[in-house]
Amino acid sequence: MNPEVWLKERTFHHSAFWDLKKMVEEKERQNLTISLCLPTLNEEQTIGKEIVILKSELHDRYPLLDEIAVIDSGSTDRTREIAASFGADVYLASEHLQQYGEYRGKGENLWKALYLLKGDIIVYVDTDIANIHPRFVYGLVGPLIHDEEVHYVKAFYDRPLAFSHGLRPTGGGRVTEILIRPLFSLFYPDLAFILQPLSGEYAGRRSILERIPYPIGYGVETSMLIDIYEQLGLRAFAQTDLDRRVHRNQETVALGRMAFGVLKTFLSRLTRQQKADFHVALSDIMRQFETAEGQYRQVEYKIENIERPPMIEIEEYRQKCHPQTQEV
Amino acid sequence: MGPLHKTGRIEIGYNAPSGDRLSQKACYHPSVLTVPLPARIAKRPERLGGRRTCNSTSYRGDRMSVVEESLARIREFPQQLVPLREELLANVVLIGQIPAPTGGEEQRARFMLDRFVESAVDEVSADDLGNAVGLKYGKQGQRTIMLVSHLDTIFPASVDHNIVVHSDSIVGPGVGDNALGAAVISMMPDVLKALSIELDSNLLLVGSVRSLGRGNHEGIRFQLDHLTRRVDCGIVVEGMQLGRLNYFSIGTIRGDITCTVRPEPSRSYGAESALVVLNHIINRILSIATPKRPYTLIRLGKMRAGISYDTDPDQAELGFEVISHSDEMIETVQREIEDIVAEMSARHSVNAELDVFFSRQAGGLPFSHPLVRTVLDVMTELDIPPDQGHSPSELSEFISRGIPAVTLGITRGEKNTKQPDHVEIGPILKGVAQLAGVLLAIDQGACDES
Repeated sequence: MNPEVWLKERTFHHSAFWDLKKMVEEKERQNLTISLCLPTLNEEQTIGKEIVILKSELHDRYPLLDEIAVIDSGSTDRTREIAASFGADVYLASEHLQQYGEYRGKGENLWKALYLLKGDIIVYVDTDIANIHPRFVYGLVGPLIHDEEVHYVKAFYDRPLAFSHGLRPTGGGRVTEILIRPLFSLFYPDLAFILQPLSGEYAGRRSILERIPYPIGYGVETSMLIDIYEQLGLRAFAQTDLDRRVHRNQETVALGRMAFGVLKTFLSRLTRQQKADFHVALSDIMRQFETAEGQYRQVEYKIENIERPPMIEIEEYRQKCHPQTQEV
Repeated sequence: MGPLHKTGRIEIGYNAPSGDRLSQKACYHPSVLTVPLPARIAKRPERLGGRRTCNSTSYRGDRMSVVEESLARIREFPQQLVPLREELLANVVLIGQIPAPTGGEEQRARFMLDRFVESAVDEVSADDLGNAVGLKYGKQGQRTIMLVSHLDTIFPASVDHNIVVHSDSIVGPGVGDNALGAAVISMMPDVLKALSIELDSNLLLVGSVRSLGRGNHEGIRFQLDHLTRRVDCGIVVEGMQLGRLNYFSIGTIRGDITCTVRPEPSRSYGAESALVVLNHIINRILSIATPKRPYTLIRLGKMRAGISYDTDPDQAELGFEVISHSDEMIETVQREIEDIVAEMSARHSVNAELDVFFSRQAGGLPFSHPLVRTVLDVMTELDIPPDQGHSPSELSEFISRGIPAVTLGITRGEKNTKQPDHVEIGPILKGVAQLAGVLLAIDQGACDES
């Protein structure tokens, strides 16, 4: 599909899917089930509101969601307690598929969500959204219900950042504009048409999500795009404008570590697809600097590029989700 | 189920008149007393369309049986409402996050109207003033019961209206006053459905605009003055406090005193700070004698003056209210304040102005009114300790029009303190159950007078 045609035909605004009653009817006609996955780590300030609103509007009032689950990385605050009190299914990621080792990270939670959740469509929504609204889910589910060719839907926003004194109008997506878009433009120009490739909200069909690997940490959003693109091409994608997303600001040094992880994931795809070759092993150490008492001090962060295999390769998963077809 | 009317042991609260004393004195209407309390002077009889009761055709004996029947069901209501809990909380958040300063409630009204439409309310529209109005037809339609909550808040739109949901509380500006009340009104059709209640009475649901401050209840006044059908009974819904039972309103005026320094040439001596002149006025107001009986209070609520340390303010403003069980006392105090302001204006060569923008006459239901007794029965059935007192809410608008009405609260919480506004989640379903119980009892004739 020509990317410019794609941009025109597969870029939506959430308001196109306002009619939830119709969408639920269509979902039921297609006999689809939809699960919402909320990956968490110490989100007690926002998780309650997120579950209350999404459960109320998209489960109780309009049964678009069949399941709402929190996959937690080991929060030390009241995240899990609050989530459970409002009716979400709560899973501690480390307690499941323990035989495959234990890692912590958003990607790990998303991967295990495939095993733990039941839906044909899985919606991933971050839990640091202050202005949560049902559109964060129905805007992503809409293209999947209305077009069977679409397998994966990505969110984009006007992203103001929350500060102590109100909102700053722009500033989100720094890693996207400085790192990812230049790299996509160089190596995957079709994917450069995805407006916010690192946004934390997306929805996909299980049929493709189970067939891609999952980096456990920062790179999971980037890898999903590249790996789905490799298997299905641009026509499998859509993107939806969800308007404003208010979230916490991240310091530049934290974004630097994020960029390091994303870059490693990206480079691993380049080498796998023989688009580039490195004659030395890439370091796992991200070096940043801080000053104290007039001295500069190096701080090392180990950011490994660990990836989980496609879930379809996990025996327990096949037994649970594909009991009829053990051979895949 | 407990015995009928278990209210004999309930002490009548602070400022409340005793039922006996009330019943000894005749008033223009057996159902509604629009009188200063405890003295009784009938007000505005010309605005009343004759005798007004919830339904004057039933008999006392019938009433007892229907009340018993209703009360038997009410204790189960909180549990039956559990499936609606998240929807209710979501509505609190979604409404609370919409800024709604007085005069800017359009989006909240829109939200409420959308909810009415989704719940298949029969007639849904905004009235000419912008109130959100939904009418759900009753099976019989002989009575019409109005539920109202105000949509506006004291917070300007520039305040961050983000709301946080904890496991036991909801925190955010205006969440208890009155996002919760508006959320409950928005959901009443769903609440009744969940409880399998089909009312014989029409249910008129109103989200009123321009209620607070200088809004001066404009929304509800407009709605009540332009009714297309008779309203037999009113319930004002406030987010806080659970147990609140207001059935009379205390006489109230609210006003601003503004001191503005005149241009230099006109001053008879030196420059005087507007703030200092206002201070003189305050001292004089504080010297006004107010009696303990009838209860009268002058409250100086807010003040604003000045912009920097090195400049005499040329304008200062004081906001105050006077409350009393006696409208005459309020008139007396108001006259004294007028005299003080005029005198200080002349003496200090400033422009001092008094603007009384809010005036509410005292009045209310007698304690023995069936509506009051019914609410107390429902509260008793739900183990809600009643807290009876006066209310500055829209209640007075019903009372002054001869419509029996009460104000009820939904949960516990706090507002306007150093801590952020918050409401407790735990008691909310009991508060909603209370409202449904009162509706059911009214519908089944509990408030009908013989």
